[in-house]
Amino acid sequence: MKTTTIRDLLEGQVSAFTDEPRFAALEAGRGDYEAFIENVARTHLKSPQLVAFLYALAPPAAAPALLDNLLEELGRAAESEPPHPALLEDLLRAAGLGHRLAAVHAQAEDDLRRLVTEPLLYGTLRDVGLAALTEIVAFEFMLSRTAGRIARALATHRGLPAPALQWFTHHAEVDIGHAEQGLENLAAYVDYYGIADDEALTLIEITLRENVFTRRYFREAKLAEARR
Amino acid sequence: MKLVDATLYVVRIPFVEAFSHSASQRRCSESVIVRVRDDEGTEGFGEGAPRSYVTGETVDTMLEDLARLWSRVAMRELPPAGPLAGLGALLLEMAGAGGVMRNAARAALELAMLDCMLNRVRRPMSTVLPPRRSHLTYSGVITAGSVERAVQHARRMRAIGMRHVKVKVGFDDDVARVMAVREALGPDVSLRLDANGAWTFDRAVAVLAALTPLGLAAVEQPLARGPVEELARLRAATAIPIVADESLVTIADADALIEAKAVDFFNVRVSKCGGLASSLAIAFRAGEVGIGIQVGSQVGETSILAAAGRHLAAALADVTFVEGSFGTMLLTEDISIDSVRFGHRGEAPLLTGPGLGIRVVEERLRRHAATIQHLPAEG
Repeated sequence: MKTTTIRDLLEGQVSAFTDEPRFAALEAGRGDYEAFIENVARTHLKSPQLVAFLYALAPPAAAPALLDNLLEELGRAAESEPPHPALLEDLLRAAGLGHRLAAVHAQAEDDLRRLVTEPLLYGTLRDVGLAALTEIVAFEFMLSRTAGRIARALATHRGLPAPALQWFTHHAEVDIGHAEQGLENLAAYVDYYGIADDEALTLIEITLRENVFTRRYFREAKLAEARR
Repeated sequence: MKLVDATLYVVRIPFVEAFSHSASQRRCSESVIVRVRDDEGTEGFGEGAPRSYVTGETVDTMLEDLARLWSRVAMRELPPAGPLAGLGALLLEMAGAGGVMRNAARAALELAMLDCMLNRVRRPMSTVLPPRRSHLTYSGVITAGSVERAVQHARRMRAIGMRHVKVKVGFDDDVARVMAVREALGPDVSLRLDANGAWTFDRAVAVLAALTPLGLAAVEQPLARGPVEELARLRAATAIPIVADESLVTIADADALIEAKAVDFFNVRVSKCGGLASSLAIAFRAGEVGIGIQVGSQVGETSILAAAGRHLAAALADVTFVEGSFGTMLLTEDISIDSVRFGHRGEAPLLTGPGLGIRVVEERLRRHAATIQHLPAEG
C-alpha cells in the first residue's frame, strides 16, 4: 500500500486542526489552557496500553519500531528517559492542575474502558488494530508538526517552564521520525494482513472521518456528574 | 406522583459530516429535549424532533405545544408506571385533539414522563414494554451527495459488516447511484431506497423498473404525501415492496393506507408518530393485516429517541428493518454517558438500565442548547 494517500488524509486533518478557532485562540493568548492541558493528558495518559496492544498485532516489519515506541512510552531508565505518562503528570502539576490528576486518570481509564466495552464497529481484531494504529500514527503526525507551536503557546501565555513542557518538546523532536515510520508501519500492517488497498483505505477513512485531534484536544474537560 | 418542574432544551449538536436527502440537508441535530422532575426530585428525559416537511412542526410550534401540554400535566396526580397505552391516552386527553401538529411535542413529553415514572421506582423499560428479542440489527443509511460519495459510504457500510442498507434517492442520477451502491455493497446486503416523496408517479415507475433486477428489499415513500390511492396504484405497478413514511403520521393515516392496500411496510418513528403508545398502536394495526414494520429514526436524534426506538423495536412481535442509533457516527457528541451506537453488522444490545436505560449528562444538554426554557410548576 502506498503511503501518499494516507499522508494526504493526515495533512488535511492537521490543517483542519490548526485552522480551528480554538487552536488560534491558544496561540493568541485567548485559549482555555486548563481544559486543553487536561484533554492532552487525558488523551495520552494511557497510550502505553494502546501501543502494547498494537505491538501484539504488529507485523514483523513494524514490530521493532512499535517496540521502540512502547519502550519510549514506558521510559528507558538506563537512558534516564522518564515514562511519558509521568511527563504528562508533570505538565498537569506545573499548570496548577495537580488536584485534577486523579480525575484525569479516571477519565482516561473510562475512555479506554469504553473503547473496549462499546459495540465494536469492526468485525475482526485485524481491523480494530488498523483503526488503532491509524489513530496513533495520526497523533504522531500531528504532534511532529504542531507540538512545538503548542509548547510555545503554553510557555508564552500560560507561563509554563521548559521542564513542564517536555512532553511537547519531546514529541516535536522525535515524532517527525515516528510519523514517517508510522506511515511505513501502516503500509506494512496492511500488506502483512493482506488487506486490499481500497478496504484498508476505507477503514482508515472511517477512523479519520472526524478530526481526531479536535475531538480529543478540544472536548470539554470537566463534565458534570451524570444524573444517576 | 406529581411533576413539579420542566425544562425545555432546544439542542443543536454538530454532525461529523452533513446528512442530506431530497427534502433536506442537515449539518447539526435539531431536537427539543424535555426534562421533567417529580415531587421526589426524580428526573426523566424525553425528546422530539420537529420536521416541518413531515408533521408540519417546527421548534417554535413544539415549544408552544409543550408549554400548553405542561400546563395540563404539572402538579396533577399521575398514575404510577403502568401500561403504556394508559400514559398515551392520558397525554391525548390532556392535549385535546391529538392532531398531526402535536406529535413531536407529545412524544417528547411522553418519553420524559415515562422515564421519570420508571426512574422513580428504579425499574427498566421492560416493566411496561417487555422485549421479544435479545438484540436488534440496525440498517446503515447512505446520505445524498455525489455518486462517488455514495459509493464511499457504501464501502464503509461493507467494511463494518452492515447487513441492511438504505440509500437516499430522488435525484436525476438515481439509477446510476443505486447500481453503483449495489456494486460496492455486493449482492448479499439487503438494499432498499428512500425517495422522501421526491418522485412523480411516472418517474417512480421508471426508476423502480430499471432497478428491479438489483433485488431491492423495499422503496420508502416514493411519492409525496397525498392521496393513498396513488401509492396503491404504484404498488400495483412495481414488484418492489413499498414503505410508507411521510404518509404515515397518525392512526387515521394508518387506517387509510390499510384500507387502500397502498403499502407493504409502515415506517414507525417515535417522534413522528407521537410517542411510544401511538407508535405501538400503529404497529398493532399493521400486524393485524400483515403489513411489515420498519422502526425508523430522526436524522440527528440523540440517545433519548434512539433508546425509545430500540425499546419499541425490541417489543414488536415482528420487525423487519430498524434504523437509528448512529450515536457518535453522526453526532460529534451524544448526550448520554453510555453509547447507544450499534456495533459491527449493525447489532446492538437491549438497554436494561432504569427508565429509558440511558444516563443523560445535563451539562452536555446545556452546552449544545440554543435555548433553555424553564416551565413553572403552575403552568
